[in-house]
Amino acid sequence: MTTEPLAKAANPPTATGTAQAVMPPVAEEQASLWGDAWARLRANRIAMAGLLVIVVFLVLAVAGPYLTPYDFLSQDLAARNQPPGWAHWLGTDELGRDVLSRIVYGARTALIVALVVTAISVAIGAVLGAVSGYFGGAVDGTIMWITDLFMSVPNLLLVIVVNTSLKPPLARWLDSLYAATQNPFFRSTSIIDFTLVFGSIALVSWPPYARLVRAQVLSIRQRPYVLAGRALGLPPGRIIRRYVIPNAIGPLIVAVSAGLGAAMTMESAFSFLGIGVQPPTPSWGLMIADGLRTWQQYPHLLAAPAATLAIITVAFSFVGDGLNDALNPKGAK
Amino acid sequence: MLVYILRRLLLWIPAVFLVLLGVYALAFYGAGDPIKLIFLRSPGDVAFDPARIEAIRESAGLNQPFLVQFWNYIWNVLHGNFGNSLLSGRSVWRSISAAAPVSMQIGLLAIAITALVAIPLGVLAALRQNTALDYAILGTALFLWAVPPYVAGPLLMVLLLVVFPQADMSYGWGGLLDARIILPLLVISFHPIALIVRQTRAAVIEVLSEDFVRTARAKGLPAHKIVLRHVLRPVLTPVVTQLGLIMITLVNGAIFVELVFGLPGLGRLTIQSLLNSDYPIILAVTLIASVLVMVSNLLVDLAYPLLDPRAAARRST
Repeated sequence: MTTEPLAKAANPPTATGTAQAVMPPVAEEQASLWGDAWARLRANRIAMAGLLVIVVFLVLAVAGPYLTPYDFLSQDLAARNQPPGWAHWLGTDELGRDVLSRIVYGARTALIVALVVTAISVAIGAVLGAVSGYFGGAVDGTIMWITDLFMSVPNLLLVIVVNTSLKPPLARWLDSLYAATQNPFFRSTSIIDFTLVFGSIALVSWPPYARLVRAQVLSIRQRPYVLAGRALGLPPGRIIRRYVIPNAIGPLIVAVSAGLGAAMTMESAFSFLGIGVQPPTPSWGLMIADGLRTWQQYPHLLAAPAATLAIITVAFSFVGDGLNDALNPKGAK
Repeated sequence: MLVYILRRLLLWIPAVFLVLLGVYALAFYGAGDPIKLIFLRSPGDVAFDPARIEAIRESAGLNQPFLVQFWNYIWNVLHGNFGNSLLSGRSVWRSISAAAPVSMQIGLLAIAITALVAIPLGVLAALRQNTALDYAILGTALFLWAVPPYVAGPLLMVLLLVVFPQADMSYGWGGLLDARIILPLLVISFHPIALIVRQTRAAVIEVLSEDFVRTARAKGLPAHKIVLRHVLRPVLTPVVTQLGLIMITLVNGAIFVELVFGLPGLGRLTIQSLLNSDYPIILAVTLIASVLVMVSNLLVDLAYPLLDPRAAARRST
């Protein structure tokens, strides 16, 4: 394989000099699962392009507010609906707000939602999947039956029902909390929006993780190295740490990579439908929905956020595919 | 075989029941008091008289326990009565039966397009594995999968406007023979096509390495006969199992596409009801869509033994 030398270069065995780095036995020992995977990923140009896009997205989401020349809320009514130009690279919207700045701030919303939603759904999925795969029998049957139930309700409709149903009670509850504590934290409506967005997207996102983790646990339990470990009398904790987790985590990482993109898409879908984060919190979905109203006069107001969302989601799925090939060399043909 | 079918049905019926119960419970406890919702909408109509509200509640059976009300709802639904819209007071069933044909026609046509486009493309990609053609097909599928319909739709509209500034805009509904149907149909088919291309490609690649394909090759059968006679049939099984997932992508797609392109279907009805908090309609659409997906899943399960007896034997245990 042509990627082998890359793996060694990526993991120099010692820092003392290049003479030692070319000594084969030492380098051989250092070639790890992650080193190999990274080398394979680096050889995949499409995946690396996707990774570059994601890194830029992360930088913008974290440092964006310090980079953009305009605040996402600052209105310039003298410069409304400007086409893209030097002063405003992506133009301005109907209130004279800089579109590029709003997209950069929207990246923050997208990133927060993607991270929180994926963390919640992976946690639920991993626990249920591991319990299901480990215990088997009736426990497995019940958990998987419930998982299938969740997968057979159209996810967007479920999200809509959950969102509309839980919003009034949640708002009442927060009101009562505010009345009791006088803490201004409970008065912010963004708390309700974000809680609902996190909760309802996670609610429809966990089933694939549960299935994946269950399948992993089932197959790894039967592998010879686990049986050997058991035969040698290793404690279960050690078997799980040293053998089960490292072998199960590859497919999970692939799923998480795709899941991050999917959660972001869901968030914008929500905002697009008007049930996600509410203005003035910037969100790409909101911008698309706004742009859709005036797209015949000002196509850039629609094209800019739509293209951004498209590029990011494509990047995540390219990286996911690349990771799949990199972490499962056996599956790659 | 009979045992398998019975098992499937026995697991299916309580599943449908639980989904109905869950969705109904959410709407029941979340939406709040339907009488108050109606009064909030038309405060001038009826005096806000507690005694009178209580009388209406009594006559509508709204002070009965949750499970009784749920049972009444299901009973009415089975008789085609989904209640009345909170906003217009019109029968929910009438709104739905006016909107459903639009979504149904588009959905069925999208399934046909998917089958006609995606399966041949997936087979082609697998036969030309790791060539430029394969990468082009696979890359396009990945792209179509990643771009949500509410992004693809508007972007295509902008593109159309840029390329043909004089074009009649693709907005509104004029039946399946109207030119305005092309763009929404294209956009709603993107996700199912992407799904089936990838599924077909993976399945064909797996089948191509089977012994019976090697035998067919060894005895000198021409390539097109190998594909038609030996490869396609086993490939159909994993592809057909995606029907439930396709239904979900179509339901999701219908919501966005009908909104973006202004089609008077179930998707737009849902979003309008959502904006008006018109729970009876949201509840009815969700129930119908869920049952539709579950029926598709059941059909797949029942078709399984016909397509692949071995897998059915494995699945029934």
